[in-house]
Amino acid sequence: MKKIVLMFWLLVLGALPLQAKTEIYGKGVSIQEATPVSAILDDPDAYVGKTVRVEGLIIDVCAKRGCWVYVAGDRQGEKIQVKVTDGEIVFPMSASGRMAAVEGVVEELKLSREQMISYLQHLAEEKGQPFDPDTVTDERMIRLRGIGAEIEG
Amino acid sequence: MKWRKFNIIIHRDLGYLCFGLTIIYAISGVAVNHIQDWNPTYVLEKIVSSVNLAGIESADNEALTSSVLEQLGETSELKNVYRQDADTLKIFVVNNNITVDLNTGSVFQEKSTKRPFLYEANFLHLNHPKKLWTWFADLYAVSLGLLAVSGLFILKGKKGLAGRGKWLVGVGFVIPLFFLWLYS
Repeated sequence: MKKIVLMFWLLVLGALPLQAKTEIYGKGVSIQEATPVSAILDDPDAYVGKTVRVEGLIIDVCAKRGCWVYVAGDRQGEKIQVKVTDGEIVFPMSASGRMAAVEGVVEELKLSREQMISYLQHLAEEKGQPFDPDTVTDERMIRLRGIGAEIEG
Repeated sequence: MKWRKFNIIIHRDLGYLCFGLTIIYAISGVAVNHIQDWNPTYVLEKIVSSVNLAGIESADNEALTSSVLEQLGETSELKNVYRQDADTLKIFVVNNNITVDLNTGSVFQEKSTKRPFLYEANFLHLNHPKKLWTWFADLYAVSLGLLAVSGLFILKGKKGLAGRGKWLVGVGFVIPLFFLWLYS
């Protein structure tokens, strides 16, 4: 019986995560060359449906479910949302402020103006930031459907 | 050894073995079920305050960061600083994301701390470790299946499967089917 208990604890300890410097989420990242966020946002139609790797600082994490992050773009003020399937990948709150490489499929979300305003207002309220509905000029949202990510520890 | 005695031994020892993880998964399950109402893994605290940044060069992120952290009494490790735009500075320290409006000095803090026990329970239950834990959790699931099946054959007679047992097992199937029908 002692041997069984010992084996059990060895299994449990083996399952504990290694204190790796970079944490891998989902299927990780396999594409080597990064696509600048600015390139995607400048010409979304050229990228929709394509799998890309983007790199940048994680500036926001979904506080409720960890189901999205915003990666800062290479140009000041630009960012792109990486949405993952609930539960498949869960980004921890500690990911904010960390550098990340993310792989995902560029997708276009078409919303009505009301839906877009409502969504952005909700985000702004969550982050305690002011929001002016008049600033909403584009009703389509370009984001990545996240497949995997590597986040620096 | 008679098969029923062997069945009781399997049920008893698997029951002992699965007890700990079953309790952990049960508590985590309730917590995660109500994810619409709360964050089951972190305690989130949102704080609005203000700082005085007069006299600091608005392009000097380092000086601004240092002043903001000092005025907020924030001593956690600094992870990164991001200048979102000319008027907005984001400061990331461990367990705290700070957004500063450089025009008004208004500060929004989003503090997060891990919920004791639930963080670890959800970590295992939602299979965040992946790796070897996936196999261990599969083994646990198979064990639960064995526990359920062996449980059917513990007792004989009127209180066994042939008696009231069959009705209760039936109810156990009907309940999920009812909800599937209800929400279809």
